[in-house]
Amino acid sequence: MGMRTPLKNVRHLGSAKEGTIHWWHQKVTAVALIPLFIVAIAYAVSLVGADYERVRDVLSHPFATVVLLLLIGVTFYHFKIGMQVVIEDYIHTEITKMVLLLLNSFFCAVVGLAAALAVLKLAFGG
Amino acid sequence: MSEAYPIIEHKYDVVVVGAGGAGLRATMGMAQAGLKTAAITKVFPTRSHTVAAQGGISASLGNMGEDNWQWHMYDTVKGSDWLGDQDAIEYMCREAPAAVLELEQFGMPFSRTEAGKIYQRAFGGMTTQFGEGPAAQRTCAAADRTGHAMLHTLYSQSLKYDTDFYIEYFALDLIMDKDGSCKGVLCLCLEDGTLHLFRSHMVVLATGGFGRAYFSCTSAHTCTGDGGGMILRAGLPLQDMEFTQFHPTGIYGAGCLITEGVRGEGGYLVNGEGERFMERYAPSAKDLASRDVVSRSMTMEIREGRGVGGRKDHIYLHLDHLDQAMIEERLPGISESARIFAGVDVNKEPIPVIPTVHYNMGGIPTNYHGEVVDLKDGNPDAIVPGLMAVGEAACVSVHGANRLGSNSLIDLVVFGRAAALRAKDIIKQGTAHAPLAADACDEALTRLDTFRNAKGGQSTAQIRDKMQRVMQDDCAVFRTGESLQAGVTKINDVEKQMADIATTDRSLVWNSDLVETLELDNLIRQAVVSMTAAENRKESRGAHAREDFPDRDDENWMKHTLTYHTTEGGVKLDYRPVHTYTLTDEIDYIKPKARVY
Amino acid sequence: MVELTLPKNSRVGTGKTHPKPEGSTKTKTFNVYRWSPDDTENPRIDTYHVDLEDCGPMILDGLIKIKNEIDPTLTFRRSCREGICGSCAMNINGTNTLACTKGMDEVSGDINIYPLPHQPVVKDLVPDLTNFYAQYASIKPWMQTQTPPPPDRERLQSKEDREKLDGLYECILCACCSTSCPSYWWNSDRFLGPAILLQAYRWLADSRDENTGERLDNLEDPFRLYRCHTIMNCANTCPKGLNPAKAIAEIKKMMVERRG
Repeated sequence: MGMRTPLKNVRHLGSAKEGTIHWWHQKVTAVALIPLFIVAIAYAVSLVGADYERVRDVLSHPFATVVLLLLIGVTFYHFKIGMQVVIEDYIHTEITKMVLLLLNSFFCAVVGLAAALAVLKLAFGG
Repeated sequence: MSEAYPIIEHKYDVVVVGAGGAGLRATMGMAQAGLKTAAITKVFPTRSHTVAAQGGISASLGNMGEDNWQWHMYDTVKGSDWLGDQDAIEYMCREAPAAVLELEQFGMPFSRTEAGKIYQRAFGGMTTQFGEGPAAQRTCAAADRTGHAMLHTLYSQSLKYDTDFYIEYFALDLIMDKDGSCKGVLCLCLEDGTLHLFRSHMVVLATGGFGRAYFSCTSAHTCTGDGGGMILRAGLPLQDMEFTQFHPTGIYGAGCLITEGVRGEGGYLVNGEGERFMERYAPSAKDLASRDVVSRSMTMEIREGRGVGGRKDHIYLHLDHLDQAMIEERLPGISESARIFAGVDVNKEPIPVIPTVHYNMGGIPTNYHGEVVDLKDGNPDAIVPGLMAVGEAACVSVHGANRLGSNSLIDLVVFGRAAALRAKDIIKQGTAHAPLAADACDEALTRLDTFRNAKGGQSTAQIRDKMQRVMQDDCAVFRTGESLQAGVTKINDVEKQMADIATTDRSLVWNSDLVETLELDNLIRQAVVSMTAAENRKESRGAHAREDFPDRDDENWMKHTLTYHTTEGGVKLDYRPVHTYTLTDEIDYIKPKARVY
Repeated sequence: MVELTLPKNSRVGTGKTHPKPEGSTKTKTFNVYRWSPDDTENPRIDTYHVDLEDCGPMILDGLIKIKNEIDPTLTFRRSCREGICGSCAMNINGTNTLACTKGMDEVSGDINIYPLPHQPVVKDLVPDLTNFYAQYASIKPWMQTQTPPPPDRERLQSKEDREKLDGLYECILCACCSTSCPSYWWNSDRFLGPAILLQAYRWLADSRDENTGERLDNLEDPFRLYRCHTIMNCANTCPKGLNPAKAIAEIKKMMVERRG
């Protein structure tokens, strides 16, 4: 690196010509999470102390299913792209970064999918 | 010498020393002309002192009313107290509008008029109708940060061209051939202490003024006239060194500049009795008389006990009567400076100001192409081959005995460009370099080595302080034969003390102790010639005001002073005639007459 | 790369304490970071006492007094001493600012001075800003147009359009903001940082420049632009009172705007 010109280093591989969608989605999902969380917390509070039957009844309502599915989808998407930025910020060893980014994606996909399945199971019974 | 100094050699068509307004404009022009160009600068280009220029850049664009370059020329000649060379003044004033338009096209963020044109304000000494008409609005401005806007614009433009910048390289000495031509320049790289010999067909000195020879000045710490020092050591003369401009409005105490644009926008000066005293000294131009006149008037008021403050030793500059929105738009920078350095809210209180050393009209004598000239075998315009000078370092002479405000920025770009055009004509790109004598760098190296290992009894700061105080006391706004003679003795004595100097830092990396010592060596030589030339000129002209010779004496003194200097031999004086002709027949020579504002 | 502890050879030790000037009643203590590449010593903090009776009011005045009277080897950049050249940017009591416009009386207690953070140090308070300047060059900070300028007059610009450059063109490239930005600390190899992005926006906002699209293309990058996480240190520290964070927000707005 020491023998290259500073400009060569700075220009590096050039602009990726992306990042706006990523940044925009972070903002949009952040905003979307506000009402979703309010509704979800309202459900949780209203169900404090309720038995399993009652919880299943309430949460299997189509409105609750939609809210919860959205909440899970948006949360894990938001988590995934946010965590990606954190990893990119702080981890500079290429291999570690790649592994962590993969783990981040897998974690969000798996946990998100599992959570969604739980909601669907509540909704459709069985 | 205590050790051998290895030298790294570079070959260029042109080497420009200094990257302020003039240096950058010259560099850019050289590169555009296809010449292989190196720009050497001791500070990063945008740190050069051009950045601190505030009020504006003069050009007869006529955006705010009728104007033409002939009127601009008349004002400049009158401002110079007829010591300016009129061929050069014509060239500058004629080229000025194109030069400003060029800056605009480079992207300089000028303030604008309602019609979308470049905003122009009134400035001292700028009139219409050859002095008969009302004040001209000729000074193109980017709020009150014109120099900053200009320097950043020029630097960014120069990034576009194929120029090698050598940043934080300190120029030590010119490398002169036995035939008197310049072959290059020897430099010290601050970052690692290596020595670099830049060989070139042309060296352009754009090293600025030597304001730091004085104790209180608006100049930056780096304004140490390094080009002037190199010239004197090369056995070449400096011209008109007795003419030092005192800016009327330096902040009292701090010395920071408050632009003349404040008065151009309607600000005015008052004395301790609350009187707008400029009406007495300059009935028609009042606060917008030329700087030497205003500075003298202020000094008179203070002397006669009509100063302001506890010690009655300064003057107030009022702009608290002006519209706040206008101040915010056009004078935001000085509002900030006044707050920080004088603790003053300009909307409510006046700014305490005092005449402060600001500009050196004198410098390296050149023709209007920027080529350095010398008096040789009776020829006062003998060109020194391979050497140019531009900007404040040079004395073209367009400013003569007194520069008008906003004429310096235009000087930088017009003559920076002129130098490049000339270089293009006389240098064939890629010409081979003739071999240099083996001992070409020896003198320069000895000087460096001496200062680097100096173990005398006084620090650089101590000797510098003595020099600055002598200059401040004895080479001031008003001068007398007595004070100047005493001054010559004192400054020569300070110069002798340079042999007793001590440097402490022995490192080669960023040795600022060494650099300050080398700078002091440049300063003291110019202080000596400046004081000597002032003692010698027995008349009052422009910024040189002798109480024992209060009048201008065209018969005996309508001539440029040349000063040569050697450490052993002291100062040698000579003269060059003022060019009493113009460049074209579009304007006649403007004959001397009484200078009244 | 994130470094939460300093490498061994960068740990700062205690240095020399210079004696108080004799007979002075009013002094200010300066603790100054010192390091020279000439030896293998670690950086150290030297302590100086400055006599306030005979000194200018600014921190730069104090540093110059130290250099003139106590220790000529103390190394720092300085030039205009009025806050316009940007040379004397340094970290003073935890804040990046210009030593020439920061009053000694603004600091209660000792004055602690370090070089601008997270840049290679050349010597003492002199940082190596090569990367910063190269980043400036990389945004092509000059006017780019295709339409030739009018031959005999300036390009016109309305007062309103010119006003859009206020708060941008005043930048003095002192690097206070960029070196105060954690994102820039961790990613200065790829993130342009607040100063350069402010400069980039200065050309995006210029009504005369015709290359807005290409300029945006060049900036649209997860690192170059989007490492800005609106931490706002830049706006807090700018010695000229500018707001680089706002300029960056404007660039992001333009990025979104051109998509839909």
